[in-house]
Amino acid sequence: MKANWRLFTGLSIFYVIMAIVYYFVGGEPVGITGMILAACLAGMVGFYLWFTAKRIGHDLPEDRPTAEIADSAGELGFYSPHSWWPLPVALSAMALGLSLLIGWWLTLISLGALVISIIGFVTEYEKPLPENASH
Amino acid sequence: MTTYAERPTINVAPMPPSAKGKNFVKWITSTDHKTIGYLYLMTTFAWFLIGGLLALILRAELARPGMQFLSNEQYNQIFTMHGTIMLLMFATPLFVGFANVIMPLQIGAADVAFPRLNMLSFWLFFFGSITAVAGFLTPGGAASFGWTAYAPLANSTYSPGIGGDLWVIGLAVSGLGTILGGVNFITTIFTMRAPGMTMFRMSIFSWNVLLTSILVLLAFPPLAAALLGLESDRLFGSHLFDPANGGAMLWQHLFWFFGHPEVYILALPFFGIATEILPVFSRKPIFGYKGLIAATIAISALSVAVWAHHMFASGQVLLPFFSFMTFLIGIPTGVKFFNWIGTMWRGNVTFETPMLWVMGFLVTFLFGGLTGIILASPPLDFAVSASYFVVAHFHYVLFGTVVFAMFAGFYFWWPKMTGRMLNERLGKIHFWTLFFGFHLTFLIQHWLGIKGFPRRYADYLSTDGFTTMNTISTIGSALLALSMIPFFVNVWITRKSPLVNCDDPWGYGSSLEWATSCPPPRHNFLTMPRIRSERPAFDLHHPHIKTEGH
Repeated sequence: MKANWRLFTGLSIFYVIMAIVYYFVGGEPVGITGMILAACLAGMVGFYLWFTAKRIGHDLPEDRPTAEIADSAGELGFYSPHSWWPLPVALSAMALGLSLLIGWWLTLISLGALVISIIGFVTEYEKPLPENASH
Repeated sequence: MTTYAERPTINVAPMPPSAKGKNFVKWITSTDHKTIGYLYLMTTFAWFLIGGLLALILRAELARPGMQFLSNEQYNQIFTMHGTIMLLMFATPLFVGFANVIMPLQIGAADVAFPRLNMLSFWLFFFGSITAVAGFLTPGGAASFGWTAYAPLANSTYSPGIGGDLWVIGLAVSGLGTILGGVNFITTIFTMRAPGMTMFRMSIFSWNVLLTSILVLLAFPPLAAALLGLESDRLFGSHLFDPANGGAMLWQHLFWFFGHPEVYILALPFFGIATEILPVFSRKPIFGYKGLIAATIAISALSVAVWAHHMFASGQVLLPFFSFMTFLIGIPTGVKFFNWIGTMWRGNVTFETPMLWVMGFLVTFLFGGLTGIILASPPLDFAVSASYFVVAHFHYVLFGTVVFAMFAGFYFWWPKMTGRMLNERLGKIHFWTLFFGFHLTFLIQHWLGIKGFPRRYADYLSTDGFTTMNTISTIGSALLALSMIPFFVNVWITRKSPLVNCDDPWGYGSSLEWATSCPPPRHNFLTMPRIRSERPAFDLHHPHIKTEGH
């Protein structure tokens, strides 16, 4: 994980430096704002990666130069075999955009459709807990 | 008495759904990164053909002085949509397509991190791009303010009509898909590499996908913000981009804060494709692997500080700062050229079709890079700004990288994607016609620009002295268009050619995609070789050659 957070943190620091240089050579506000926001974005990702690496506490198999393939044996994770949900989410997002041109009635309908399809998308593989399960 | 008719029993099994319908559903509900990648590649190629057709119409109109068959407004619509389609509906999603198909294979992942999000990105791009172009079907026609949509030209006073609104909304939705794609790729690379595949053993293509995705995250949100602001101006009468309060410059800054990183979003993944192909056909490891990565990181870092070189002629930007930064970003690009040539140097170079396309890329992109250095210098830029010199420059840069590297990637990875090789002879005919067609079209536009022909003009006078050069350029564009025919013939005649039935048909593949079958199984790998260098597949197939591990 070292290379990951260093990459983002490095970019963030570079953007801060560029923003400062640009300010002192007489840059205009849009560019300074843009570069500072870019620095914040990279910094946020960098901080998250650093924080996660620290929390994991040890090198993962993909970061160990001498790792064997068997080191990550076991369950690979869950992969959705196929899904209908992305299509309605995208369609209702598109309809929401077009509703700006077509009329407020479509905004309401497409917003409802978008919320429903996002809920469907997110909860597609959520199973209700068994009744006696303790939380 | 009531009699009952026995219900007839049907022994015939119900009709199975047709294979076509089943396949259609399988494709539109797919969460397989390869299938989604193919959807991207096919859709973007269709846009490439449509954008190319629009370009042919423009060239045909410009062949002779006088307006032959277009009105000025139609001409404006066509060049606007040509630019929009080629940049945002062809080249950018083409990166997503190649990254989807190849990158998870190269890092040894079973899929991308968010397979359903991946499909959502595709649908957003698909519907968004159709919406943006749908303006052609409206009475007022499509957007006609140039793909840069400068304020105040793009507002509702100067560009009324629903075509412009469709353009803005379509691009905003499609851009959302691109952002989600970027998130997906970064997460995949950070969390799904195979054991032993450290960051500094990843193939250069995967590195470039990572850095391109970072640039997507930096560049596309400003575009989305600018587009939503523009739409709010157009629909609700807000004054965000009102020239009275500096809105014209605000738009240019926001647009190019997106627009210049966008150039690198288009370039870096295709540099990556070239870097994958060169070592395979030079029978040598990449020269300066870490140097190439450092150069790519430097390009991504610097690319947020060069945007205003598109605005030199506005007279309101810091010329020395942006000129200096632009010259600076030329250095890592030069480092890349040095490494590419170093890879071939004293190698056992053979010129199979993919390699030929990479040569075409190197030559064409080098020309574009050199004129880029000219344009980075404000005094020279003032002389040729907004002329055909600029048109020639960016076609050399973008066509050189995107189209040449795209075909290189198609020929190179065709056996990986389909299990069958494309025909070499037709591939070479395709290459040479396209190469000559391209240079015939665009080389002469440098001189046309220097003589003073401005870009985006629908017409010129016969006394201007532009006629001969324009005619030559138009002939070149026809040749360029014809060069697509050998490619289609090639795809058609090889559709049933024998399967390659091996992992690595080129024989010297280095990265991990060559260590699985052609085409790969659903979750990519049945067995995974041990990863000890940046060339795991080469180590697997040629164990007697010891590569120096990183």
